[in-house]
Amino acid sequence: MSGVFTEEQEELRRYARQWLDENAPLEAVRKIAETPEGFDAAQWSELGSLGWLGIAVGEAYGGSGFGFMELAVLAEEMGRTLYPSPFLSTVVLGTWLVERLGTDDQKAEILPAVVRGDHRLAVAAGRAAVHDLVARRQGTDWVVSGRARFVLDGHTAHTLIVEAAADDGTRLFLVDGDAGGLERNPLSVMDLTRPQAEVTATDVVASPLGDGRAGDAVDHALDRAVAALAMEQVGGAQACLDMSVEYAKVRHQFGRPIGSFQAIKHMCADMLVGVESARSAAYHLASVIDHDPEEAAIAAPVAKSFCSEAYEKAAGDTIQIHGGIGFTWEHDAHLYLKRAKSSALLFGDPRYHRAVLASRLGIE
Amino acid sequence: MQVVVCVKQIPDPSGTYTLDPETHFLVRPDEQVLDDTDRYGVEMGLQIAQAHGGSVTLVSMGPKGSMQGIRQALAMGADRAVVVDDADLKGSDALTTAQVLAAAIQRTGFDLVITGTESTDGYSGVVPQMLAELLDVPALTYATEVEARDGKVTINRQTSAGYDVVEASLPAVVSVTAGVVEPRYPTFKGIMDAKKKEVEELTASDLGVDTSLRQRVTAVEPAPEREAGVKIEDDGEAHLKVVELLQQKKVI
Repeated sequence: MSGVFTEEQEELRRYARQWLDENAPLEAVRKIAETPEGFDAAQWSELGSLGWLGIAVGEAYGGSGFGFMELAVLAEEMGRTLYPSPFLSTVVLGTWLVERLGTDDQKAEILPAVVRGDHRLAVAAGRAAVHDLVARRQGTDWVVSGRARFVLDGHTAHTLIVEAAADDGTRLFLVDGDAGGLERNPLSVMDLTRPQAEVTATDVVASPLGDGRAGDAVDHALDRAVAALAMEQVGGAQACLDMSVEYAKVRHQFGRPIGSFQAIKHMCADMLVGVESARSAAYHLASVIDHDPEEAAIAAPVAKSFCSEAYEKAAGDTIQIHGGIGFTWEHDAHLYLKRAKSSALLFGDPRYHRAVLASRLGIE
Repeated sequence: MQVVVCVKQIPDPSGTYTLDPETHFLVRPDEQVLDDTDRYGVEMGLQIAQAHGGSVTLVSMGPKGSMQGIRQALAMGADRAVVVDDADLKGSDALTTAQVLAAAIQRTGFDLVITGTESTDGYSGVVPQMLAELLDVPALTYATEVEARDGKVTINRQTSAGYDVVEASLPAVVSVTAGVVEPRYPTFKGIMDAKKKEVEELTASDLGVDTSLRQRVTAVEPAPEREAGVKIEDDGEAHLKVVELLQQKKVI
């Protein structure tokens, strides 16, 4: 028990873990990751009926009206088993932006469908993607043109939320996934459990999200995404640690378990220190994000830079501890290494986030 | 329809079980989980109650501990729980267990009692039948399908060859096999709602059940080591021997 989560949140964790272990063990994760969509649509609907997708959405829109801590629990558990799904893009990023900025009509149209599992979102705004989209008026409509790359689940989302530069500043728009002039192609990614797409727009009709002005919402949405990602990283790093310690106990060499050798012991001990420190950073961020945006602005770059490095180290050392078997396609270690790598780069690498931290602290 | 589902909290099966060296009783930690096979009974009960209107009451005997297992069943959607926790019941045999459950169920009232076939920590497999006898209602056991309506319950009863269709009038006791239905996972809303549900705690004397032990475990031995398999050299006739072996095991 961490002392950070309530008893009910720990119960949620237990059932989330049970669902993931029973429905999406790593063999299933491999199969899902190899599909062109990169997620399992039937399971996504099931998550809708389990209430995972609407857990932090207001009750007016079919959600359960809870907060980020519940999302955080789910993110950590999904990170533990590398569950491939549009959770980060749709539930963490997109839903929050729509709920925060959308008009009543937009919210009523999009949110209940997201909560049911019938509608998925992708976000190309801020550091959620690399983009050079521009917007201009065409009669009474807005049209956007340009390109966005590394858009999480951009090829499978029903609606994209894009940031585009207009004459009078940056605006956020909703773009229908099937809109004319929109081309979407999945990118070849190293981490198959986290699909990304390139989106090219040529005079695509777009409707402003709310009044189109995002203010600091994109920054805050990104901090939330970073918080969810940090929770995933902790879950994944813990899985690496568990896997390594378990293996060090059963694998024998020179007539004794390899865990008795100092080189292995130290690696495991260092990994534990890394995982626990990462957990502290991630849990702290998760616990302040809903109520203390000022603290979250500091805690986010701390967590993102630290958890990224801790996870990469844990995943790398896991391969070392497993020796030859850890280097094979059949073993799961490489899945974690790839997720660790893609997570470290997503929304800005550790170096970038240390710069953000310095600037937010005013010491740059 | 008033559905009662018997559930049991057991030590987490993924952990190690320890026995008291004196009494040979299972040492039960404070944190126990819902017996996995009971998830099927709870789901079955919920489906029947939802289809025909009615409520689901959980009845459980054993140290309540942190109530984690009971709360899981409540979070799935059961309406209330009755938990009989009494130090005198420690190590009680199947008959005493059945008497306690029957008394608690009588007190609650019931149209249909659903149980698993046997608990994952005790494996006696006789409580459902005893329960039916004590409640003086029919026992329909090893159900792979259950339908309850119009004062009747019909089940498919699993047999070694397939299944028998068994029908009885309600009230009745039905024991269900794992896999009879797909148990639901509690939602977070369900977890929160479970907090507000009524859990009645009773002792054996509240129910007027005699707790004197009629059974004693005299010795416990570790399970025998797994023996080496049979090797059949293929001289062209090996398939016949394999078939014979499978027939002996009643697999085919």
